[in-house]
Amino acid sequence: MAVETLWSNKVRSGLTMLGVIIGISSVIAITSIGQGVQKATELKIEALGTNILQVLAASARTGGISQGAGSASTLTWEDAQAIAKQVPAATAVAAFLYSPNIQVVRGNVNISTTGIGTDLNFPRVSNIQPQQGVFFSQQDLDIAKPVAVLGSKVRDDLFAASENAIGADIRIRGKRYKVIGVMESKGSVGPQDMDDRVYLSLTNMSAEIVGNNALTGVAINGFLLESSDADQLESAQFQVTNVLRLRHHIRPPQEDDFRVTNQVDIIKTFTSIMGSLTLMVGAIAGISLVVGGIGIANIMLVSVMERTREIGLRKAVGATSGAILNQFLMEAIVISSIGGAIGIGLGIALAFTAATLFKFPFVVPLWSVVVGFGLSLIVGVLAGGIPARNAAKLDPILALHGE
Amino acid sequence: MATIILLKDITKTYHLEAIDVPVLKRVNLSIEQGEYVAIMGASGSGKSTLMNIIGCLDRPTSGEYFLAGINLTTLDDDELADIRNQYIGFVFQQFNLLPRLTSLANVMLPMIYADVDRSQRIEQATEALAQVGLSDRLQNSPNQLSGGQQQRVAIARALVNHPALVLADEPTGALDSQTSQEIMDLLTELNQQGTTIVVVTHDVDVAARTKRVIRMLDGVIVENTQASIDFRLKN
Ligand SMILES: Nc1ncnc2c1ncn2[C@@H]1O[C@H](COP(=O)(O)OP(=O)(O)OP(=O)(O)O)[C@@H](O)[C@H]1O
Ligand SMILES: [Mg+2]
Repeated sequence: MAVETLWSNKVRSGLTMLGVIIGISSVIAITSIGQGVQKATELKIEALGTNILQVLAASARTGGISQGAGSASTLTWEDAQAIAKQVPAATAVAAFLYSPNIQVVRGNVNISTTGIGTDLNFPRVSNIQPQQGVFFSQQDLDIAKPVAVLGSKVRDDLFAASENAIGADIRIRGKRYKVIGVMESKGSVGPQDMDDRVYLSLTNMSAEIVGNNALTGVAINGFLLESSDADQLESAQFQVTNVLRLRHHIRPPQEDDFRVTNQVDIIKTFTSIMGSLTLMVGAIAGISLVVGGIGIANIMLVSVMERTREIGLRKAVGATSGAILNQFLMEAIVISSIGGAIGIGLGIALAFTAATLFKFPFVVPLWSVVVGFGLSLIVGVLAGGIPARNAAKLDPILALHGE
Repeated sequence: MATIILLKDITKTYHLEAIDVPVLKRVNLSIEQGEYVAIMGASGSGKSTLMNIIGCLDRPTSGEYFLAGINLTTLDDDELADIRNQYIGFVFQQFNLLPRLTSLANVMLPMIYADVDRSQRIEQATEALAQVGLSDRLQNSPNQLSGGQQQRVAIARALVNHPALVLADEPTGALDSQTSQEIMDLLTELNQQGTTIVVVTHDVDVAARTKRVIRMLDGVIVENTQASIDFRLKN
């Protein structure tokens, strides 16, 4: 019967449903998109490996005076090599130098990318392999040979799809380099685009591009350390810190001139920020659902006033107050559950579109569907309840005469 | 013959701000099963108020009302709703059909509250509409019907639950005289089948078709005659 009366006034029912549809679909879409992005980040963590430490040079402080940028780096290749030997938890160490803005030129194409100078362990530790050609060899490293390995984006920027990049010449800082490899595509991890890079040998980068020297040996910006597994990471962190303090003559009250970070931690922080963001936006969507509920209550109240004659007549032909209460409650529940179902469908469709468009995994958390539908029912019952009580209380004669 | 309506010292007083407005003053009335009664009287004399009490839409301020022997004074609101549903059919001056429902759905309404199942509701409502001559208007909504047709739908709705009592408050008040005649024919036919009918009217032609006229003045019954019956018996 509720369905019949609702169907007999499609416009009013439709408008009432709209609030619920908007509320539920935004709750579902937002939580689904949030979860999708989080899932994507988790996949990236797994791709990166959960057993990697990053050690970066920090500016050295001597007697409380910061030596500032451009001064000698505090970490050297020798430090990295010592760590590889002296830290039992380390299974591989890749030293690196980087320059965020280097010009790479081929013919009249000129792009700016990130330059990474590193050693042979980098592909293993960063879990990235050449897709074409090779990474540089020990010999290339030893003689600082001018060879370059391109990130997939850099390759696409410089070469047409049909061209073969391997063996081609490019210019970096005016010097000629031969392309010997192209890395596989990895996408972005956090803020870094793993594909927008050019890899050189550490020795060549140090001699030709960056050119600043440590007090002793080859300066580096830092190194990546691989441990046998995630459980070993904490002991590796402890050991690295101690070895470096020993080598740099730093005693604990003194500040370290290096920084040990754990990639997993960084990404976990990112994920948890994403999580709370999702929760917050989801909550806002939830509030909009409540507002939708107030809308239903309002429309139902107006409809009770509009329908006083109907209520009076129904009572005259034998409806009890309970029957009227039921009718209005049922109408509210039917409206909000149909609205809820449409909203869930729409929300899932929105989330699917976003996931396909922005290429992250499509996940619809079951709880959001359950919570969304539950909320719409609660909203329906509460928002329908008050007008229904008013309707049931109407005196039949007054209602019959009411305009 | 059994008494279907028995009113004992019924009063109804409205309280308007500080003053009491007595609308019915110790009304005593008895109507037998199968009677056909008209209530007449000036505007404001209390006819509708009396009808509402007889129809259990309203409660008297004091006095006792027995419907088919049941003392209604003792019943609660839900029990009164059941009484209205099972014993009484209403016909109103303004028809009071639900505008968005079809004739059939309007006539089915009382049976919803009588817990009749859907297929039987359709069957009985179709039958009732046939009885008032509207078999070809089952799916029309009220605004697609003339006033006379709407009132016939209302009569079908009133008789669909086979009530013992049909109450009509100025059923022809909104209709022309030709249509009024047709509506009165229907009520007369219904009465001949045994239904007790009480009609409030200002129209002497309408009253003339009943068997008994009750006249009201300022909340009291001033005349209670079987005149029309006598008139008919003489002819
Ligand atoms: N809810 C109410 N509150 C106060 N006074 C009322 C109420 N309902 C009716 N009255 C008064 O009771 C009196 C009788 O009203 P009622 O409707 O019974 O008259 P009626 O005989 O049906 O008149 P009409 O022929 O015009 O329909 C009128 O004076 C009216 O103003
Ligand atoms: Mg009246």
